[in-house]
Amino acid sequence: MSPDIYIETGTTLKWLLTTAWLLPLAGFLIEVFGGYWSGRKSRAAAFLAVGCIATGFVCSLIALLTWLDAADLNVSDIWQNPRAVAAATHEVSEATHVDHEHDADHAADAEHHGDHEHAVPAHSEEEHHGHAAHGNNPLKFAFNGTFYTLAKFGRIQITLDYYIDGLTVLMFTMVTFIATCIHLFAIGYMSDELTESYEDHQVHLPGGKHFHRPGRFYRFFSFLSLFCFAMLGLVLAGNIFQVFIFWELVGVCSYLLIGFYVERKSASTAANKAFIMNRVGDFGFLIGLMILWTWFGTFQFANTNPDQTGEQGLFQMVRTDAGAIETEGEGLNRVAYMQSATGEHLLGNDGQARRIPYWLLVVAGLGIFAGCVGKSAQFPLQTWLPDAMEGPTPVSALVHSATMVAAGVYLAGRFFPMFTPEVLLVIAYVGAITAFIGATIALVVTDIKQVLAYSTISQLGYMMLAIGVGGWLAGLFHLITHAFFKSLMFLCSGSVIHGCHHEQEMTKMGGLYKKMPITCWTMWIGVVAISGLAIPITLPYLGAISFSGFHSKDAIIASSLSFSTLNPTHSLLFFIPLITAGITAFYMHRMWFMTFFGKPKDHHVHDHAHESPWVMCGPLLALSFFAAFCAVGGESGPLANLLLTSEPTHVAGGVQAAGELGLTLPSHHEIHECHSQAGMMALLAALMGTVVAYLFYCKQAVDPALVKARFESAHRFLKSKWQFDEIYDSMFTRPVHVVAKWCTGFDREALDRFLHSCASLAVGIAQWDRKFDEAVVDRIVNVFGEVTYAAGRTLKGVQTGRLRQYVMFIAAAVVCLFVVLFLFLPR
Amino acid sequence: MSVPDLLNHVLHTDLPRSVQIFAPELVLCGTIVALLLVRMFDAHRWLPTSWVALFGTLAAFVGVFAQFMYMKTDGEHESLKGMFHFWGLTADGVGTSGPYFTGLLTHDSFAVFFRIGLLLFLILVEALTILTGIPDQDDGQDFYTLLIGATIGMLMACGVNNLLMLFVAIEMMSVPSYVMVGFLKGRKVSSEAAFKYVVYGAGIAGVMLYGVSLLSGVLGTLSFPELGSRFALLMGDSAFTLSNPTAVATILGIMLILVGVAFKLSLVPFHFWCPDAFEGASAEVAGFLSVASKAGAFALLIRFALAFQGTAPAVQTLCLIFGLALGVVSCLSMTFGNLAAYTQTNLKRLLAYSTIAHAGYMVMAVAAMMVILSGSKDKDAAAACVSGLIYYIAVYLFMNLTAFAVVAFIRNQTFREDIDSYNGLATGGAVTKLVSVCLLIAFVSLVGLPPLAGFFGKFAIFSSAFRAGSVHWFLWVVLGLGGLNTVFSLFYYLRVLRAVFILPPADETKPVEIPGMVGAYVVLITLPILALGMSSFMGDLDATALDVASQLFHI
Repeated sequence: MSPDIYIETGTTLKWLLTTAWLLPLAGFLIEVFGGYWSGRKSRAAAFLAVGCIATGFVCSLIALLTWLDAADLNVSDIWQNPRAVAAATHEVSEATHVDHEHDADHAADAEHHGDHEHAVPAHSEEEHHGHAAHGNNPLKFAFNGTFYTLAKFGRIQITLDYYIDGLTVLMFTMVTFIATCIHLFAIGYMSDELTESYEDHQVHLPGGKHFHRPGRFYRFFSFLSLFCFAMLGLVLAGNIFQVFIFWELVGVCSYLLIGFYVERKSASTAANKAFIMNRVGDFGFLIGLMILWTWFGTFQFANTNPDQTGEQGLFQMVRTDAGAIETEGEGLNRVAYMQSATGEHLLGNDGQARRIPYWLLVVAGLGIFAGCVGKSAQFPLQTWLPDAMEGPTPVSALVHSATMVAAGVYLAGRFFPMFTPEVLLVIAYVGAITAFIGATIALVVTDIKQVLAYSTISQLGYMMLAIGVGGWLAGLFHLITHAFFKSLMFLCSGSVIHGCHHEQEMTKMGGLYKKMPITCWTMWIGVVAISGLAIPITLPYLGAISFSGFHSKDAIIASSLSFSTLNPTHSLLFFIPLITAGITAFYMHRMWFMTFFGKPKDHHVHDHAHESPWVMCGPLLALSFFAAFCAVGGESGPLANLLLTSEPTHVAGGVQAAGELGLTLPSHHEIHECHSQAGMMALLAALMGTVVAYLFYCKQAVDPALVKARFESAHRFLKSKWQFDEIYDSMFTRPVHVVAKWCTGFDREALDRFLHSCASLAVGIAQWDRKFDEAVVDRIVNVFGEVTYAAGRTLKGVQTGRLRQYVMFIAAAVVCLFVVLFLFLPR
Repeated sequence: MSVPDLLNHVLHTDLPRSVQIFAPELVLCGTIVALLLVRMFDAHRWLPTSWVALFGTLAAFVGVFAQFMYMKTDGEHESLKGMFHFWGLTADGVGTSGPYFTGLLTHDSFAVFFRIGLLLFLILVEALTILTGIPDQDDGQDFYTLLIGATIGMLMACGVNNLLMLFVAIEMMSVPSYVMVGFLKGRKVSSEAAFKYVVYGAGIAGVMLYGVSLLSGVLGTLSFPELGSRFALLMGDSAFTLSNPTAVATILGIMLILVGVAFKLSLVPFHFWCPDAFEGASAEVAGFLSVASKAGAFALLIRFALAFQGTAPAVQTLCLIFGLALGVVSCLSMTFGNLAAYTQTNLKRLLAYSTIAHAGYMVMAVAAMMVILSGSKDKDAAAACVSGLIYYIAVYLFMNLTAFAVVAFIRNQTFREDIDSYNGLATGGAVTKLVSVCLLIAFVSLVGLPPLAGFFGKFAIFSSAFRAGSVHWFLWVVLGLGGLNTVFSLFYYLRVLRAVFILPPADETKPVEIPGMVGAYVVLITLPILALGMSSFMGDLDATALDVASQLFHI
């Protein structure tokens, strides 16, 4: 790409994405006054919000096409002949995954290996050619620049930047598309707010009545718009500080939306819980920011402008041309050198090479990851997400499954070049633990939204795990596919809840498939997708017959298998996700069967159930299409290829025995090698889970109640969510209460008493002071006033109005002046 | 140089140049003649004399403006070429600074700048009189003849270069003023005031003439540029002491002349005429006297003071004594003016004392200039003093004009001028409210509160006094007293504003209704007070003033 085209493309993308980003803000600014401008019964706010986000989607789509064009990723060619096209483009290194079919028969095809060997050098050559201007750019294509400078401190500055690469564009398209669908869905779902007097059945007033309040239709949509603005801003942000700003803003939106039914105690508590638990993570985030700011003096991700010789970005400083972190020394004395634009060491003001202690780099990475842990509800901060289901279902679909909670994974992916192997290992373990905990709890919960919430936690754990084991592509691939099928399932659950008149307990459902067929079968698509089911037959050009989730989960399992093969001590990182895959299939089918099949358990619910209106079913169909087919072609399909354009360069080749722990990260090739093996195992696990669920809940061959009775203690443990809330309660909340009580006592007994005595002392002094004031100060002021006034009156007396005196005064004054002058003249 | 050569020089070189520079004044003289002719042929019924006067003044203003622009751009200004040509401006004439009329007057951008200001002010006063209608149709020619005549005197005062011209200029300012003060013929107060003013003025004129004769007798010259060098020559190496007759005689002469200037500036102790004259005169005349004659007198004072520059130690001592004497006068004026204003009940009288106090502030700048010149060779600092004074006068022009214009307009409605008659003025009609706000702005600016123009003027003068304090400590005393006086002045200005905005109107009076045109006029002259404090005009004026002042010191 020539610099001209580069800049032209970058500018086009910048304006398209900026438009898409700012439109929801404009919408918010108007909608927030909806209550004043239009009545409570007007849908105007919703139409405005949908218009804004839909226009944003169109802009993002154009941006996506522009990007595909610029990155030489011709979608139609890929559809026709993935192998040929992949080999022709500079993304050729990823041709390893041309052989994405997961049937074991084709796994060890020597020809493909040949392809791979050939491809790697070709790729790096192309890379070098395209971006000669920045030798150690760890990125392939990216456009960055500055919107506005917030503050300047000498050379260093805080700015509002943009950073656009394939990931940004893809996230924009995904977020705006899902948001558009959910906005539309919400028009139907929230329609009972279109009233002057909404009756909240879950708020009981004394006297057995329910709480009445004006409808909040416009408020809901204005919050949604604000959230879209914040989320898109987070994705577009070009520096980590800006990410933090929008990070907090999405947090606020999440808080507002969880607490949408603010009168419900549970909702306001859940909102507080979400907000506070996120602050814990953000504390780490801030520490990370401070370390980066202090040592690097910049927040920018990378500086990619070919004309610009200015400051290096963080990624460019940390990684060399080859994408390695250049270190020296051992243990705590280990330091990492910063790289300059010319591929040499970056020199400080004193002429010495600038270095950062390696352990600080680790701490910075862990700090940033702590933020991700909070936002993405990872272990140990996962407990807020299930409670967040108190918000309206469209919120759960948009904020708490598809976008905001995925922002943590997005940031981990975006910040990947900054993470040392040690940090990655932490990420992997946290992800694995989270995936397992989430899945096990989802086995026993009976609230339909709770199942989905725990499933979200578990899937986010999967993504983190993938990123941690070096499967950058797998993690972000799963992020996109998960966004589609999870938002689909949430909307389906919303449809069920809406159809069943706000009944969320699955134990009261069953047999709904006849009543709501569209919901049932669109949800089935989601369930199959998340379970990772597939028919192990390979079709030409399309790969295995499967929905999106299979491809991405398969990629994750493959990454973790190859990682545990290379690092045998961490083989747990393979078994946990494998087991979890089976559990996932089980609990997802359990939910589906319990809801739609079997005998109706509550006839009242069943009789009144109805299919949702088209404004709600339409989005379901649109989303189900993408949930099914967005990952078509697997890891050589268009989606994966698009993601690969923004993969950090050092990922493809893997890392050998790096860091203090000597961890080896798998290369694309190594991951590919165990792909078929891993795929088969995952598929087997999923099938087992599905079959068991079928036997338990559809065929009713085994009575779940018996199993429950058999494993009573385990069930109770899971039912109480691994006791996390209790542990946190006794570890943090109660001690805090005790300390607070002590503090109050101290306050009352010591401080207040002291202050009271101080106050009475002050009053006593003040009384004396008042007397002094009245007797001395006031008197002086009064005397001063009187004297000046009297002087004025006296002077007035001089002006007698007698001409004779005036003329006399001339003579007298002249004589006086003479005298004065002569008195002072030197003799 | 033989007599014919001299005559030739005068006729062929000096006269054309002088006429060229003096053309605006000549236009004014022509206007006076035209006014009298109009009246003589009874044409004033269809050609109001006020418009004749206004037209003549505008023409003169354009002439001076052309001169100013010519000097500023060296005649290169493209769009004004036609105007330069019309006024016959040449590089030898207006383009060159220096004496004209055989050295009686001098021409430089300082003089031209003051002349612009004075003519602008004259135009504004004429507009004011048209609006208030104070000279009726039959008196118009008399009033405007006097007004323009006095202004010619002030214009001459700006370029005074000779002791005799100094006397002539002061008398030319004064004599028409005496008549104008007594112009309200029917009123006893007015006649009495005029009478007092004449007699007082005559006395002062006598004193001043003593001074002129004494000085010219000792130094043997009347020309300003020679005064300082002659004095230095006469003193030789001898010390400046009481026993030295030259020194004593010179200082006496200077003092007696300063008495005359102090009379025009209404500085204490030669201010007695001021309150009486202002009270007796109409507000328009009082406003004219308070600003125009003061501006002219300050230009004259600065020229006279700068006549005694020099490097000889005796001259330096003289400068210092000169400056300190002015400092003493400044202290007296500020304090007396402000304190005596406390108990006044008549607004014009109150404003008279206010002008006395302001003259005190302004003379502080001249004192600072002389002290700075005496101690150091820092001409930049001296120029800063003058530029501060120019800025203050420019601002003072608008502040005082606004105040007196409001007094005149209110008098036209209520026929009263005492402060009690202003009670509840702000409760009147919309235009009255607007005018009240303008009065507020003018008064607050007179007190010198930021961000109004008055603050910055005062600040400039105080800062020059502060700088002069490093040469002689007495200027710091003056400065301190000046600050204290600002506080004093707050009370009586606020007393008027309290009446206007807070006190309830008297029951029997009906709300004051002011015509819209008048409101527009008051707003027009109030806007510069805001603009010179809060816009880039402030910087423009400051830069021009500094430029003009620097030329005075040949920097």
